[in-house]
This record gives sequence, C-alpha cells and structure tokens, in this order.
Amino acid sequence: MKVTIKSWTGVASWRWIANDENCGICRMSFESTCPECALPGDDCPLVWGVCSHCFHMHCIVKWLNLQPLNKQCPMCRQSWKFNIH
Amino acid sequence: MLRAIGKRDRDIFDEVWPEKRKIVLKLLRQETVSQREWQDLFFGVHFVCLWDEKGAAKIYDGLQQDIVEFIVQAQSKVQAQRGEQALLATYIVEWRKFFTQSNYLPLPFRQLEQSPQVKPASSSGSSSSGVAGSAAASAIAGGASTSNAAAASSSGNQAASSSSSSTKASTSAAAAAATSSSGASSTSAASNSASAASSSKKGITEDSPVRKLMLDSWNKHIFHDIKDRLQESAMKIVHAERNGDAYDAQLVVGVRESYVNLSSNAEDKLEIYREHFEKAYLKATADFYRLKSTEQQQENGVLAYMKYADAKLREEEVRAKRYLEPSSFNILTCRLVKVLIVDHLNSIIAECPALIRDYETDRLNLMFRLMDRVLDGEGVEAMMGDLQRHIKSAGLADMQSASEIITQDSEKYVERLLELFNKFSDLVRNAFNDDPRFLTARDIAFKMVVNDTSVFKMELPTSIANRGVKYTAPESKCPELLANYCDMLLRRTPLSKRLTSEQIDARLRDVLLVLKYVNNKDVFMRYHKVHLTRRLILGTSADSEKEEDIVEWLREVGMPADYVNRLARMFQDIKVRSLHFFILFDLIYSLLQQVSEDLNTQFRNSISRHDAINIKILNAGAWARCSERVSVSLPIELEDYIPDVEEFYKKKHSGRKLQWYHHMSNGTITFVNNFGRYDLDVTTFQMAVLFAWNQRQHDKISYENLRLATELPDPELRRTLWSLVAFPKIKKQILLMEPTAISSPKDFAENTMFYINQEFAIVKNGKSQRRGKLNLIGRLQLSTERSQQEDNQSIVQLRILRTQEAIIKIMKVRKRMNNAALQAELIDILKNMFLPSKKMIKEQLEWLIEHKYMRRDDDDINMFIYVA
Repeated sequence: MKVTIKSWTGVASWRWIANDENCGICRMSFESTCPECALPGDDCPLVWGVCSHCFHMHCIVKWLNLQPLNKQCPMCRQSWKFNIH
Repeated sequence: MLRAIGKRDRDIFDEVWPEKRKIVLKLLRQETVSQREWQDLFFGVHFVCLWDEKGAAKIYDGLQQDIVEFIVQAQSKVQAQRGEQALLATYIVEWRKFFTQSNYLPLPFRQLEQSPQVKPASSSGSSSSGVAGSAAASAIAGGASTSNAAAASSSGNQAASSSSSSTKASTSAAAAAATSSSGASSTSAASNSASAASSSKKGITEDSPVRKLMLDSWNKHIFHDIKDRLQESAMKIVHAERNGDAYDAQLVVGVRESYVNLSSNAEDKLEIYREHFEKAYLKATADFYRLKSTEQQQENGVLAYMKYADAKLREEEVRAKRYLEPSSFNILTCRLVKVLIVDHLNSIIAECPALIRDYETDRLNLMFRLMDRVLDGEGVEAMMGDLQRHIKSAGLADMQSASEIITQDSEKYVERLLELFNKFSDLVRNAFNDDPRFLTARDIAFKMVVNDTSVFKMELPTSIANRGVKYTAPESKCPELLANYCDMLLRRTPLSKRLTSEQIDARLRDVLLVLKYVNNKDVFMRYHKVHLTRRLILGTSADSEKEEDIVEWLREVGMPADYVNRLARMFQDIKVRSLHFFILFDLIYSLLQQVSEDLNTQFRNSISRHDAINIKILNAGAWARCSERVSVSLPIELEDYIPDVEEFYKKKHSGRKLQWYHHMSNGTITFVNNFGRYDLDVTTFQMAVLFAWNQRQHDKISYENLRLATELPDPELRRTLWSLVAFPKIKKQILLMEPTAISSPKDFAENTMFYINQEFAIVKNGKSQRRGKLNLIGRLQLSTERSQQEDNQSIVQLRILRTQEAIIKIMKVRKRMNNAALQAELIDILKNMFLPSKKMIKEQLEWLIEHKYMRRDDDDINMFIYVA
C-alpha cells in the first residue's frame, strides 16, 4: 500500500500585522474597515509610518489633508512619513 | 307695410298681429308654413317691436293665449285616453310635437328677448344673456341665425331700402329653418340621433322667454295633472319588460324626456326628473328585485342565484342607459347592489369556503365580481379571510402529510412548496383576476405556511449568552432547506446535471420567490454562504456565472447590502487568488529547485510539474468566520511548502500574515494497493490520517497513537476516522477497526485499533474496479464542532446587535417615541434580515436603557427618549 499526493488545495486567510487592535483615528478594528468602506481587505488597507504607528490608509490620508503645515502622526506628533517596507 | 309707419302704436299691433297669429297657430299645429309666411312672421314681430312701444308685451300676451289654447286642446286629447299605453302614446306624440315646436317657434320672437317688458315673465333669462345668447346661437346654428342677425340689423336701419339684400338672406334662413323643422317633426319618433339634434338646437332657444313660456304652460296645464299617471304607466311598462314582455321602450324614454325638459329651474335642469321619475324608477326597481331575489335564491340555491344577480345587474345597467339620465346610473347601481347582493351577503359568503376548497374558479370569479361591487368591501374582506384560512390549512395539511419525505429531502420540500404556491397563485389569478387584495391575502397565508414550525424546526438559543440564560425559540427550518436546495442546483450534482441552464435559472428564481416569504432571511444567507464557501474551495460549482447571478438576484430581492457584498467579495477573492497562485508556483518552484534562471521557463516548468499545489488565500472578513485554528501535522511533502508560501506572501504583501485553515483544505491522493490504483479526493485531515500508515503499511495503529501522529484535536480526529471507517454508500471502507462493533465516533476508545483495508477497492455494479476515482470528502466540514455552536450563537448575537443598532438609528432621528411606533418601525427596518421577537426587542430596549442610550419618560412608561 502506498499513498501519494496528487494535488492539494491549501486554504489560508490573512490578517494585518499591526501593533494595536484598533486604528487610532477611527477607533475601528484594523480587521474591519475605516468608517467609509463597506468591506475589509484590499480595498481598505493599512499603512505604517516610520514612527511605527499604523492606521487605515483612508483615515491617515484624511488626517494629513486636514493638517495645514506640519504633517504629523496623530499618535506621537513626529512628522509623518510613510514607511515603505 | 310702409303705410303702417304713420299709424298709432296700438293700431300697428292690431293690424299686424292677426295675420301673424295665423302663422303661429299653423306652426303650433305643425302644419305646413310656406317660406314666405315664415319670413313674414320675422318681419311682423320686428315691425311691431320697433314701432309699438308696448309691442313686445302685447305680442307676448297674444302668444301666451295661443299657446295655452293649444295646450288645452292637447290636454283634452290626452285625457281622453283610458288605457295606460294609449295614454302614454298620445301624451308622447303630443309632447314631441310640442317640444319640437318649442325649438322653432321662439326664433321669430327673438326680438322679445331684448324687450324689458317681457323680462318679468322669465325669471332667469337676463337681458345680457340675450345678446350673449344670440352671439352664441349664431356660432352654434351657423348660417341660419347669422343671416337672421343680418336681417334684423338691416331692417333696424332702414327697413325698406335695404330689403333686397336682407330678403335674400332671410329667405335662406327661413328655408334652412323650415327644412330642419320638417325634418325633425317627421322623425318625431325621436330616435336617439334626433334627440341629439334637438339638444344641440337647444342652444339657440334655451334662454328664450317664448320657449320658457311654452314649456311652463305645458307643465302647468298638462303635465302637472297627469304626471303621476304617466309615471305609473311608465313604471308598469318597465316592470312588464323585466318580466319578459316586449313593450315600446320609446314610451318610457318619452316620459323621461318630458321630465327632463320641463324643468323650469335653470340651475338644476334635472330637478323634476330626479324628484319624481328617478325616485319612482329606483323604488320600482328595488321592489321588483327584492321580491325576485329572495324567490330566486329559494328556488335555485345560492350558486344559481349568483349567476342570476350578475345577469340582472348587467341587464339593469343596459336598461338604465336607455331609460335614465347618465347622472342616475351610479345611484341605481348602488341601490341594485344593495338589494341583489348586500341583502344576501351572508348566504353568498357562506358558499365561499367550499368553492375555494373545490377550486371552482369560475364561480369564485363570479362571486368576486359581485362582491367587488359592494362599496364598503365587506364581502371581499370575508372572501379574503376564507382564502387565507384555506391556503394556510391546506398548505400545512399538505406539508404535514408529506412530512416524512420533506424533512429529509430539501429538493422535495422546495418542490412541494412551489407546487403549493403555484396552485394558490393560479387560484388567485383565475378566480380573483390577480386582485391586489387577494394577492396580499395569499402572501400572508403563504408566509404562515413557510414559517410554520410544526413540521420541522431548528432551534436557536435566543438569549444573550453572557447572561447565562439559555432557552430556545423554534424557527422554521425552511431557510436552511432553501439554501440546501440552492446548493444542489449550483453544485455539480446529479440534479444540476439533469437540468438545463434555463431550468436551473427558473428554479433558482423560484427559490427566491419562496425566500420572499421567509421571516428569517439571515438564516438562509448564513447557510447559503457556507454552501458557497464549500463550492468555491472545493471548486465544485456547476457554473460560476450562475453563482454570481444569484448574488445579484439576492441583491435585487432586497437582501441586506452587507450580506450580499460579502458574497461578492468572496468571488473576487477566488478570482484574484487564482492569479496569485501562478506567481506562487513560480516562487515555490524556484525555492525548491534552488535555481534562479529565466523566470518564464520556470513558470512553464512550474505549471507542468507543480500544478499539484493550489493555495487559496481568503479575506478573513468576507469569508465564513473561522476563528478557531486546528492544528494538524501535515504530510512532510506539504509541510515543506508552508513556510515558503508564507515567506512569499510576506514579500508580496507587507504587513500581513497568513493563517492556515487546514480544516478547509483538501486534495487528491493516489492510493495504491495490491488490488488496484485509485484516486481519492480527501480532506487534509483524512490525508494526515492516511499518511500515518505510509511507513508501516500493515500495522494496526491505536487511536491514541494516531492522535499523537496527526496532532488533531480529539473531536476532529474522531470525525475524520469515522469518515474513513464508515463512509456512507460505499461497499468497502478504506480503514478497518478493531473491535468492529462501534456504532458512533463517540465510542472510539484510546486503544481502538485501526488498519488499512488491503482489500479496498471501488465497487461498481457489484464488481470491484482496478482503477477509479472516489470522493471521500462528502460535505466539507467548514467548521469544527465547537465553532458550529458558536455559529448558532453568532446568528443570535448578530441579531441582537442589529436590533440595538436599529433602535438607536430610529431613536436618533425621532428623539421621542412610544413603544408601539418604535416596534413597528423596528420590524420594518429588520424585516429583510429577520423578524425580531417581541421578547428580544424588549430585552434590547432594557439593555439600552440600562446603558443610558435612552430612557423612559417619567410620566409615560411607554415613551422612550433618546439620550445623546
């Protein structure tokens, strides 16, 4: 008797790796969406700043647009820079 | 004529009138009047009016005398008749003659209209209307009266000198008038067209004092005396006609016409008609049918009576068109409906349930038409009630009698349900013409059938778990069965293979139709989603387009957007991931081979060599909740891939991590034994269990050791093993156990031994096959046992949240609201998802009050106030 694998379908889901449960701006869970979006996932991604804080992309963009001069992280007041991995 | 100018006023009248009077009498008697005479009359009247100050009054008086005289003669003629028919006939002949003349005689006396002396006699005819009237008249009567006016004005200027032209004009006028006059009188049998003609003529003479004088005199001298007799005779004729004897309908019509035309009240022309003729007609009709209807019903029974009533209603409508003014139609119909239907309402309605039961659509239709005439809708309501009761009881009885089959087989159940639905819809269409009220009644009843819990039910815990109170409220299993049926249609099953694409579409539509009546649509959506997940992961959809169609349809029938969006998202995932997975292959391949050459060749290589592995990466939010991770030790071949895939994914999408759902993953293995070689579709768990024997093929392995080898949690291992030792519907199982007498997975002991069935083979038609393919997955377990309970909990939990959310949503807008209104609005918001129970609403209200989202009014305990 011998058993060999012919094909296999693996199933996985993905989660955000964030340092917090909730977005510091909208207070919604990272796993759900920002208040404007209907579905979580690719359409409502997370972004990280170099200060290591993380928000819904829509939330932080909105926040930055509201800052006239110094674009700062709403959590630590360091100037905001997107952390591109 | 010019001679007369010099004479004194009085003489002018005396001289001119006797001549003219003869013409008037001729006209009244409808004798032939020559053109010249007719023209003379015009001239004579004008002449007198012009030269004699009181001429108009004198003419009026003279005319009155003549008319009265004529009428008195006519009256004696009429009174002389004894028989009713003869009386009517004579009266009508006289009346017609007179009435015709009343349209022509006033023409020559138009001059009188402008005279103030005549005015007192006419109560309503105003002088201004004389001018306006003549202008209007000229418009209506065209050539004839225009030339009249021309004649009048020219004679006013200079009577003789301009006579040549005016004579010509007035000759033509007289000719026109005379021809039409003789035409009308010759056809005084007054067909409808003739009466129409005379009514258009009315415009000319309507306001004429002379005409008024004529009619008033007639009214006073003849009509007043004999109107009761006339009326009575007319009713007798109608009565006889109702009994089937033929009579001259024109007699009745004539009487009615005289009633209408004799009205002296200009505001309300129909006053006399209404007060006498209509009243008498209505009374006669009602009396007649009151007797007849009871008689008919007793003799022929209710069913035949309905036919009778229907026929009579139509007949009377036709008759009314003949004998009555249009304004009376409605009143008559009302009265008839009262006598023919309302008075017999109860006995008719009593037949309704039996008719519905026997599907007597024709008779029901008849009954419906009759009842629909009743104004307050009482009868229709009673019928609706009967229909509703019937559908409910018949539907439930049907379900109960077949409960054995339908609780097991969702296909049968849905088909049965649809059959019932179509049957009742047919009934409503054929018997009630798809009347919206009956459609509503059907819907209500059908809702009851669909949501009924007596045949089968599912139980959901209704309380909030954290309070520790647990009880169940039964709910119909219908939504679950509907979802199962959908699954059968959409998955590759014997059923879906048998049907054409159109048939499947039609059936899916049917499902949605039934779904409309289901209260708890959230249960359907949950099951549908579970089935969909299974189909997508196993790739067993019969038609992926249809899958997406139905998502759209669900949106169309008003399923809550977030449910539907999540389904749409699942498709997107599957589509996007299949792209990803090619790239993945690429990577895995290169990692395995440890080469980094030209990517394209590798890509091709990877397809040919490694199409064995397929990774589905799902969005946690959109797919079924799988919070629980089940550990399992994968076969080495697979275990190696996992870190590679994770590594690759990390590079591809920063900030994300993968979480494996091995209970959902599955694959195909090749199983080789002495007998043959078989491809088996298995779950990853089954795979893990079977791989335990790969190194020691003939060993018996204990349950305990299997658990150590596979690292599966106890319930999952039991279930997996059970699916291998006792898979339904196959002759030879792949695993055998010792002892053999174990009847459920719960009975596996730590030392129960399992071993490979070396004789395993796929058996087809009683013969063992050497090759073959077998699916051991069955229904892919999407959730573990514990998470299934959690799932049921989560439905309840979600309902609670939705209810709270909806309450807050409403209160935020309304600020203040009483209990009843709040509940109504709440149900309206939630009805596309589920029907909140009173108890749940109450609990959630309490919870919200406790947590200070809202409060009760201090004075009124049923009033809620939103607390910001």
